[in-house]
Amino acid sequence: MRAPSSLKQEFLRKWILGLQICSSSAKSMSISERKKAIKLSADIAMASARNGRTSWSRALIASASKDDNHGKLFVQQILGSDCERLTKISTSIKRLRCKKILKKSSGTIIRRRMKRIPDKAVASSIAKQMVNKRTQILKSLVPGGVFMDEVSLIEETLDYILSLRAQIDVMRSLADATEMMMNC
Amino acid sequence: MEPTEHRSSAIGPSLDQNALDSLQFNEEIQHLMTLPPENANSFTALLELPAPQAVELLHHHHHRRSPESNGSTAKLVTAKADGHGLHHPHATPHHFNPGANLTFPSDISLIERAVRFSVFAGINNSDNNHNDNNNNNHKVSSKIDKNNNNNNCSPETTGSVPSNSSGNLGKVKNEPAESDSDNNNPNSPQPLDIKTENQNQKSAKRKEREKKGKAATKKSKSGANDSSEDAEKLPYVHVRARRGQATDSHSLAERARREKINARMKLLQELVPGCNKISGTALVLDEIINHVQSLQRQVEFLSMRLAAVNPRIDFNLDSLFVAESGSLIDSSFPGMVMPVMWPELQAHGNRQQYQQQWHHFDGHHQPLLGGAEESHNFVTPENSLLSYDSSANSGREELIPHQKEGGKNKKKLIILSDSR
Repeated sequence: MRAPSSLKQEFLRKWILGLQICSSSAKSMSISERKKAIKLSADIAMASARNGRTSWSRALIASASKDDNHGKLFVQQILGSDCERLTKISTSIKRLRCKKILKKSSGTIIRRRMKRIPDKAVASSIAKQMVNKRTQILKSLVPGGVFMDEVSLIEETLDYILSLRAQIDVMRSLADATEMMMNC
Repeated sequence: MEPTEHRSSAIGPSLDQNALDSLQFNEEIQHLMTLPPENANSFTALLELPAPQAVELLHHHHHRRSPESNGSTAKLVTAKADGHGLHHPHATPHHFNPGANLTFPSDISLIERAVRFSVFAGINNSDNNHNDNNNNNHKVSSKIDKNNNNNNCSPETTGSVPSNSSGNLGKVKNEPAESDSDNNNPNSPQPLDIKTENQNQKSAKRKEREKKGKAATKKSKSGANDSSEDAEKLPYVHVRARRGQATDSHSLAERARREKINARMKLLQELVPGCNKISGTALVLDEIINHVQSLQRQVEFLSMRLAAVNPRIDFNLDSLFVAESGSLIDSSFPGMVMPVMWPELQAHGNRQQYQQQWHHFDGHHQPLLGGAEESHNFVTPENSLLSYDSSANSGREELIPHQKEGGKNKKKLIILSDSR
């Protein structure tokens, strides 16, 4: 596995770049804006620490660069030259359309079948419905998840969870350290 | 491979066919040697993956490669099949996998596990029925040697055990299935790839062959599911039908896909705390969703905390850190040492002092270098920041094995008290 400590270092390095942007404009922002900027810079830093190897990171960066707020700034600062390469999401949109069509068609088939299946199979179809519902929710949680099929969704979720944990650790340590500095 | 030979003869009537097939295989292999090798660039990544993921990747590769089928090999196969009047036209599947050049893991134990793990497409000569895991180890090593030497090698090559990662792991896995070739040549063209086979034949036919669901195959299949850490991404995964299960192509494909997904779900279950005891996909997914949501919420809260602190912090210090990081030497230490040392640093609450202390400690602890990989790098103040806090707060096991997840304040107090 990628060493977690190296991931954290990578993330911290990139995040610091983003935070410098934040601090330069700190005076003018309200707390919530600052919070959003910090969160955004952290997310982008983490996504870029992945170097475009995972789909969620690419989706995150792509959506951030389209964002009005400071997304584009962060992306440019943190990613540097990789900016262009990682911000392409055109292919994913096509896939999404195709998947939506497929989903609609499969949905109707299932409904037709339900009239004819025996009771014991109803339970399994109910279970499937439950799983599908949760899969949809998970897709909405993971950035770029809506474009993925089930199999890759699970992989991406794995990676995303690991990255989130690393991000949280770093952010927490920074927050604690700065608070301690403030208090002492 | 004597055992296989015995078995094949035991299986009986098709012994002649086996011989025929093996000859055929040899020929075909030579014909097919010209297939271009594929790159196995992702194997090393796969090596790091736990078992279930390997399966997935196996499938992945499987599907990815399918479009690349080589038309000529298809023709060759079908021609041979027709010519010999074989039961199963695609019995000749011993095409060299274009991916055959993929390297193999140097660790035989991994390979063996992979073999056990493998899902086979039986080349269906009667031999296939006795796919034995018993022989797998033998076959594996010989086949690995063979495969490693490359598509262009003669079937007889026995190279040294490959030191590269194995792109062909899947092929290796599938080789035992093609036991008929064992007669002549342990090293036989096993790489006959089931992949190419699939490319060439309709899946229905293949699955018919696989129908010979013996208990052995069932066992091998479940065995396969248990282990195998390094499956390379291969174009096809060969699924053998178990006893009493439907064997039409749709259900088999679905089952393969299901297994892939289940393997990955297992991985997720291990990752998300508290998921191990839960059974049932929907509930596990619930847990995963909750976990992801909680992680995202934590990010929000932490960024809020930082936003509150932010205006008063001069982040120019951070630029200082970035500059410093280049100059310090890397060192790693056992995580245990940290909690004791850090309180002294933390008590100062001053980053400048961190750096000074750090230098001091860095020199002091040089002899302790060579700790576990997962231990922190104390090199830079950034790291010190990370490591301190993780020792204090985080429940991340990989960083500090002995740390428990406790209240932040409590941890800090404990650490401080230890130091004095």
